[in-house]
Amino acid sequence: MSILRYILRRMLLTIPLLLGITLIAFAISHAVPADPVAANLSQSAMSDPTIVAAFRAEWGLDRPVHEQYLTYMGNLLQGNLGRSIKSRRPVLDDLRQYLPATIELATAATLVGTSIGLLFGIISAVRRNSLLDFGVRTLSLVGVSLPVFWLALIALQVLYARLGWFPGPGRLEVGMEPPPRLTGLLTVDSLAAGDWNALRSAVSHLMLPSLVLGSFTAGLVTRVTRSALLEVLGLEYIRTAYAKGLVERVVILRHALRNALIPVITVIGFSYGNLLAGTVLTETIFAWPGIGWYAYRASTSLDFPAIMGVSMLIALIFIITNLIVDILYFVLDPRLRVA
Amino acid sequence: MKQRLSQILGLLAATALFLAACGGTPTASPTAAPAAPTTAAPTSAAAAPTAAPAATAAAPAATAAPAPATGAADSKTLVIGMAEDSASLDPARAYETTPGIVNRVAYQTLVTFPDNSVETIIPMLAEKWEISSDGKTYTFTLNANARFSDGSPVTAEDVVFSLNRTKNIKGNPSFLAANFASVEAENATTVVLTLTEPDAATLSKLIFPAFSIVNKKLVTANGGTDAADADTTDKAEQWLNANSAGSGPYKLEKWERGVETVLVANPGFWGKAPAIERVIIRNLPEAAAQKTALEAGDIDLALGLGADQIGGLQTNPNISLFEGLRETVVFLIFNNDPAIGGQLADAKVQRAIRLALDYEGMQALGGGKTVIPPSMMPLGFPGAWPAEKAPTRNVEEAKKLLAEANASSLTVDLDYPDTTLVGINFGTFAQKVQADLAEVGITVNLKPAALQPALEKYRSGQQPFGLWLWNPDFIDATDRLAFLPEGKVGGTRANWKNSNSSADIQQLRDEAKAVTTDEQRNAVWDKIQAYMETNSPYAALVQPSLQIAHSSALKGYVYHPAWEVDVSLISK
Amino acid sequence: MSATSTTTPQPLALTAARPARKRMQTIMRFLRANPLVVIGLVIVLAWIVISLLAPLLAPYGPLQQRVVNRLKPPSAVNWFGTDQLGRDIFSRVLYGGRISLPAGLLVVLGAGVIGVLLGALAGMIGGWFDEIVMRVTEVFMAFPTIILAMAVAAALGPSLFNAVLAMVVVWWPTYARMMRGLVLSVKSELYVEAARVVGVPPWRILWRTVLPNCMAPLVVLGTIDLGSAILVFAGLSFLGLGSDPATPEWGRMVSDGVQFFDQWWVAAFPGLAICTLVIAFNFIGDGIRDALDPRLRKGL
Repeated sequence: MSILRYILRRMLLTIPLLLGITLIAFAISHAVPADPVAANLSQSAMSDPTIVAAFRAEWGLDRPVHEQYLTYMGNLLQGNLGRSIKSRRPVLDDLRQYLPATIELATAATLVGTSIGLLFGIISAVRRNSLLDFGVRTLSLVGVSLPVFWLALIALQVLYARLGWFPGPGRLEVGMEPPPRLTGLLTVDSLAAGDWNALRSAVSHLMLPSLVLGSFTAGLVTRVTRSALLEVLGLEYIRTAYAKGLVERVVILRHALRNALIPVITVIGFSYGNLLAGTVLTETIFAWPGIGWYAYRASTSLDFPAIMGVSMLIALIFIITNLIVDILYFVLDPRLRVA
Repeated sequence: MKQRLSQILGLLAATALFLAACGGTPTASPTAAPAAPTTAAPTSAAAAPTAAPAATAAAPAATAAPAPATGAADSKTLVIGMAEDSASLDPARAYETTPGIVNRVAYQTLVTFPDNSVETIIPMLAEKWEISSDGKTYTFTLNANARFSDGSPVTAEDVVFSLNRTKNIKGNPSFLAANFASVEAENATTVVLTLTEPDAATLSKLIFPAFSIVNKKLVTANGGTDAADADTTDKAEQWLNANSAGSGPYKLEKWERGVETVLVANPGFWGKAPAIERVIIRNLPEAAAQKTALEAGDIDLALGLGADQIGGLQTNPNISLFEGLRETVVFLIFNNDPAIGGQLADAKVQRAIRLALDYEGMQALGGGKTVIPPSMMPLGFPGAWPAEKAPTRNVEEAKKLLAEANASSLTVDLDYPDTTLVGINFGTFAQKVQADLAEVGITVNLKPAALQPALEKYRSGQQPFGLWLWNPDFIDATDRLAFLPEGKVGGTRANWKNSNSSADIQQLRDEAKAVTTDEQRNAVWDKIQAYMETNSPYAALVQPSLQIAHSSALKGYVYHPAWEVDVSLISK
Repeated sequence: MSATSTTTPQPLALTAARPARKRMQTIMRFLRANPLVVIGLVIVLAWIVISLLAPLLAPYGPLQQRVVNRLKPPSAVNWFGTDQLGRDIFSRVLYGGRISLPAGLLVVLGAGVIGVLLGALAGMIGGWFDEIVMRVTEVFMAFPTIILAMAVAAALGPSLFNAVLAMVVVWWPTYARMMRGLVLSVKSELYVEAARVVGVPPWRILWRTVLPNCMAPLVVLGTIDLGSAILVFAGLSFLGLGSDPATPEWGRMVSDGVQFFDQWWVAAFPGLAICTLVIAFNFIGDGIRDALDPRLRKGL
């Protein structure tokens, strides 16, 4: 099977997946006994029937559920996710505004976590069964066990409030003018605009939350790197490389690591999806205006269009990450192509 | 996590989201709508900032530095930290605290309150007004000097457009305009507002930011309309979320949802130019984070502190702390409909619960200057009992009453919003109630819900037992008619109707509506409070304290119960 | 755990009937080689004992309020300090295991039963049914757990049942996929073929032959999963989706601490409790994984 055909098949498979996700999201948001009218109008406004009727008609809440779903799907096919009840804007606009903050955070966390994980993993594998290896392995297990919401809180209390080593909540210093919006990623935008102050501020604000969120990735990557390296190191060609008299550093980095990367990529993909869930728990703590924060607000105000939009978006990112991982897998591991 | 949704207090009609409509509550004299000062809050506010001279030396240094200082370090920039609650900044749609602060200075209203009190109503865009003898026609004469930020004059056309737009958009604040029969421009500077029925609260309502006067030309050009079908045809909201079209001392520069709202001084302001050029309202959802940011100098003013966050601030020379008392009452409400409330509908059980509560403990929980209100009327309210009459605990008596009512081992569900409002964490108080009532044999199951779904159940009178708070619509004893049989709270939320209440309380209620002098008022409300002490579906718990902290460099901060803070009065 | 890769571990040799003494020796050797597993076992056992004996061990009742004593720092009287209602945090932390442990167990059991049933059926029946079940698992695995749980919480109100339910809904697919893989590999074994040829009905084959052979790896997966189930449950309870707010639930206790930066002890100790338990489960799981299936070390 050629790569192209494989990719095409996988992409086609995501369509029923997405359909299923809309169905679940719609079922949940409409099975609930609570009334979005009450959730979004003031008491006084609610006592006025014309205001309530106007609200119901505006959101299509006066029609039967299956009709609402069909309307929703019809709009969805045209790229219209509906309007958020809370923000009164198209959900797509909301998502477009909040997604970059989360992408930036999740990517930074993945980078931080992966770097730490690779480093620790290599150290651990090279010095296997040493005290150092034992320490790193223990640490990596701790990394995947820490509750991220707790870690976020403690990090803010200690590293920001008490010690002042890191800046506080938010993406930029208070009052700092963000660079003109190109991508919504503040680091990229400030680089593009050559705004070094904004870049410095954006990077320093990213550090604490990405360390917190990256702890899980770091633990996971450490463990996978270690075991993958150990497996590779036992193989014939590595022993040959050693026999040829190559320096250990060269053997590890040039020969072993390259082949150990496949499983590492898999867990990075997996942990990216995990990070997105983590943002729901941490974004409010860090006052980070991303989709995790948006999801929390949408859920507490029963903002159905927003809940559905954000669920689908996160699911879509999850699916895309998996797709990329599988394709990489396919590309990197020739054995799979035969199967 | 928890969102403070609203903390506006005071005179103004139905400010907080969950309050009832301020219907036509007739007061004694049509001209003096609100009477009596609130508690000591506003006056002591003015004293607080001047008392702290420290850290002012920093200001001239900042101007000397050529670097473009941003944020709280800049003497021309004010940074406020609060939990942003804006759903919209369109004056005709906004209803929350943050938009109230923004629109207070981006727009102006026909009339307003003085800077530090709610005792009188003074001119703003209208230089004078007349009320017809039947109380149904209000004629306003506009100040001819008033200019919008684009330089065009504020005309009667703009007023007509603004008032009609708010009414016809059918948004959250539209109920305030429910009794407007017509708004007409007599000439360029004269507007006539006609009501369907006399309403003494009309001027107070017009102070509400929903009646901000917008620039008709500008708003129309951006999709706005005041037509009867404005609820579907008005498309100006998105534009008004990013721009302002008012005559206030500031202009809206940008609103980045969940991050910050930025105001800049209006260079063409027709009044006295404000000292601060740039105001940034930074979203900091957690009170604890606001405190840290204030201490770190990241923000100048923290609006969401609870009594638990002020430890250490009193002794910090760089920070001025203002502590006062809110007019809010936190209370338990029982459902008088036995089909919903079960045994809680029994007046004896209700009284037993009032006796079973540990009020001193509640006060300690509230912290700061929290007090126990003597009744459902807050301390300092006109006609309210003095502090000495505050309830005290009597567990034995409570048990006796419960035994008489055959309710010695009662199990009840307590509904409340899982949130923090005006510094009151409902969950904490609910757990306290649970523990107190356990001591008299009542098992309380806590039923927290997100604010919105909880409100729904409360407003429709479906809660058997709830924990809520009430901010007065206006500072007058008649505000408390809401809690009596058939009132906004009593009738719909507690199901306390004429059919299940005594003739005594109904007669007192009707007397209270008719009083004309302070003596009469005090006498009748004394009787009402005495009646409600033994027989009413409520238990008042605490009257929370208010704590506002700001950098000592800040001058001119005044707490105002109607709009929390007017940033145009601040300098540093 | 990519959505499409299907791991099909071999049935474990550990279950094969062997003299008890020999098995004991194997276990002892395994424990000696894996000190982390021993530490993990000790911590988990300690938490189980603490949870069972909490009423005896705790100096105060977990619900006992003393408001005058609120937000006091750790001291000789209150080892972990007191919370916003003056409750003893040490006592509450001790009681916390009584909720977290059973909740984690319930999630794994619930998800396990549903997953095993559907996975086994998919594996046995195959064809379109298999296809549908696999597609459905993909949908659920892609759906964001926390958002689902928050929506449920906002609508139905917090309760232990709702939290566990929300988790089971997103947890079962892992088991279904694993079970299906196991069934597929067992199905081709000679003894199953033999049974089919002899005319034993399929459900009987499933029940008598296939299931017993799949139990061991499932139990291992369940044990390993307990740690993460407890972790996710703590996250939900942090968001306010656990049981009654007064109950000493670790996640919820941490969320109480969000209001109090100055009173670090309110959040710190319950959070540490979560850490120790989850770390212990991960120590055990890691050791077992290493010992049993080298291929499992890679992923999951």
